[in-house]
Amino acid sequence: MASNACMPRFGNEAPRSAGRAVLLTLPILLWSLLMFFHPGGNTGRLWLIADGITAVFMTTLFFMMMRTRRTYRWRRWFFVSVGVLFPIGFIHNVMAMRGTMGIPIEEMIAGRTPFCFMPIPLLILPAAFTRTIVFPGSILPGGGMSGSGIASMVGLWLAITLVIGKGWCSYACFFGGIEEGVAAVPKRAKIRKIDPRWRLGPWAVLMAMVLLSLGLFESAYCMWLCPFKAVSEYVAARNTVGLIQNGIFMLLFGGLVIALPLLTKKRTQCSFFCPFGAFQSIFNKASIFEIKIDQTLCKPCALCQTACPTMSLSNESIARGETLMSCMKCGACVDACPRKAAVWHIKGTEVAGKPERARLMFLYAAWAMAVMFGGSIIAQGIATILHFLA
Amino acid sequence: MKLRAKLGYTAAGMTVLAAMLTPFLLMGLFTNGVAALGLHVDEMYSGGPGVRTIQSGAYSINIHRPVFPHMLQRDQPFVQLDWKPVSALPGRVSDVVDLDGDGKPDIRVSFDVPKDPKATLRVDVESLNPHYEAMRNAGKEKYSRLIVRVDDAILVRVPLANP
Amino acid sequence: MVPSLLTERAGLRPNARFLSAFLGARLLGYLLFAAVASEIGALALKLPAPRVPLMGGVDVLLACMLVWYAYSARHICGQACSGSKLVNISTSRDRRAGRAAALGLLTGLSLCPPFVVAGIRAAQLGSVVQALLFFIFFFVGTSVWFVPFVGLGCVARNQAVIMVARMTMVLVALYYLSLGIAMLIGRKVYG
Repeated sequence: MASNACMPRFGNEAPRSAGRAVLLTLPILLWSLLMFFHPGGNTGRLWLIADGITAVFMTTLFFMMMRTRRTYRWRRWFFVSVGVLFPIGFIHNVMAMRGTMGIPIEEMIAGRTPFCFMPIPLLILPAAFTRTIVFPGSILPGGGMSGSGIASMVGLWLAITLVIGKGWCSYACFFGGIEEGVAAVPKRAKIRKIDPRWRLGPWAVLMAMVLLSLGLFESAYCMWLCPFKAVSEYVAARNTVGLIQNGIFMLLFGGLVIALPLLTKKRTQCSFFCPFGAFQSIFNKASIFEIKIDQTLCKPCALCQTACPTMSLSNESIARGETLMSCMKCGACVDACPRKAAVWHIKGTEVAGKPERARLMFLYAAWAMAVMFGGSIIAQGIATILHFLA
Repeated sequence: MKLRAKLGYTAAGMTVLAAMLTPFLLMGLFTNGVAALGLHVDEMYSGGPGVRTIQSGAYSINIHRPVFPHMLQRDQPFVQLDWKPVSALPGRVSDVVDLDGDGKPDIRVSFDVPKDPKATLRVDVESLNPHYEAMRNAGKEKYSRLIVRVDDAILVRVPLANP
Repeated sequence: MVPSLLTERAGLRPNARFLSAFLGARLLGYLLFAAVASEIGALALKLPAPRVPLMGGVDVLLACMLVWYAYSARHICGQACSGSKLVNISTSRDRRAGRAAALGLLTGLSLCPPFVVAGIRAAQLGSVVQALLFFIFFFVGTSVWFVPFVGLGCVARNQAVIMVARMTMVLVALYYLSLGIAMLIGRKVYG
């Protein structure tokens, strides 16, 4: 057994013993085996290999979280993998079924447009007023690229949000990993001073998109502003407006997902633009898990603010001992704090009473969701790569 | 331990339990709940429910209920007609259709049926009733004015001129 | 209109005043249109050729109006204001009413299909008075939807709310600008 002296030290805290880390990882190992190798699951050699690799990958990452007592770096490996592998699996499926990333109008009329979670907040008001879903998909599985249907994605979103609130943005979103990976590339940020008012951007985008979707009875974000059409699919341009829409999404992807994360080392699309993130922030209020700042230990060094990928810590919020609503529970601030002032916390309990217990309970819930959802995306992507290599 | 802390840990434990139950119970529950809400996809996309079918030899023409735009939607109201099955259609279709069931013809729809299912379709609609707009050589212009092939049917959407 | 309301002062009365100016100008737009419809007849309204560039022009104007509104709201201050140099609301009541009226007029002239259909009906009624009366009732029927927005007066106004409202106005303006430019270029508009 490797001695603890061989493990890198983070701050003053010794890593957990390997034996204990294995014990803590066992539930996740069993969960992974259940998720990937249950009866009625994927069959075929390629899928067995892909599922096996994914199960080992997810279990190993959790083991490292337990061993090192750190969260962010290992979670980032998972999240970036989802961000990279999702487009591979998805685009392959789209090309195999349709032969093009552009959604033809025939597919929209047939209700075979795949539904992602982003338009959920935009659909609520039109559905409330007229019982109409303003998305060209199918409520139940409708064949083709409609996948499991709109009801299934909404059900999945509800379940995961109930469990981890805005942790969705760190453990479930299959787009955020792209910019998180890009932001990790440079050693230092070239732009370090960012006006904190830009943090309000997602709320403005949310309000504008909700109003436009209600007025126009279409999913305005999907039609006009989604930057991730570059790595999934887009409405085939049939006229000037379609060309403008496609131009906008390419500009937004290039700017918010590639260029700005490279320059700032922040998740700029998530922090300054994503309306779904703003919507999820509301559920943060109801989540039992949160990150707190222990005022007795904090010496405002701003390391947590620098580490936070979404600028969810301001001087005022640190003085109050808490993060802002936009906190995605990624754990970057906790891992960065040299005085262990930033801690995981369960509402109602004492701040910094038993932070590791709070962290463990959160991670079991979050990682279970990550294995179930993100893990399936990783497996799909690996299976696609193996299919091409075979 | 204080009561608040006990409640906090209990809620956290239940959250972990909820996570375990998600793929086996919660997700299905929520999905069925959403499906049971009675929501439907916007008729601007789906074309509205079918109301009448006209049999014409080996193929049929399914007429849908007229679809009207909501709120600030800038499209026109339209009525959708489906010709199916495509395999039973002649090389050139030219049908006079009574859309409103009053026994009088309302439109004449004419289009070629190419052998290649991916070929572009064009339609001419002659208006025999001022309530319906004529179309000349229309393709896939907008949701209210188009001809497309979807699976084994050819769909034509005719805009309403004066609803 | 919602983001514009959010940049105004909190309170039911200021919001009701804004809404009144907005709806009043919207009614004026409707009545102007009714008068035009009855004079030039239904045929002219059916013609898409002059209608589309007109719609495009109105959209571009509306976009410019929204951007100007967002820019001029930069001195509006919410509850968190401090400092003698800033005043609570920098603009006079008349200027706020003017902005609301301009927004109302431009949205009232937005030629969406239901509006045009109403115009055709009004044109077929035979007299200007009947056309005006028809549009008054059309206005009442469509304005009912605006009444609940008075409740936005209860939303607290602070720097964050006002900033979000200003950003929203710019985003909505960009949408109308894109549509307006596409219509003015003269290509088919996406369905």
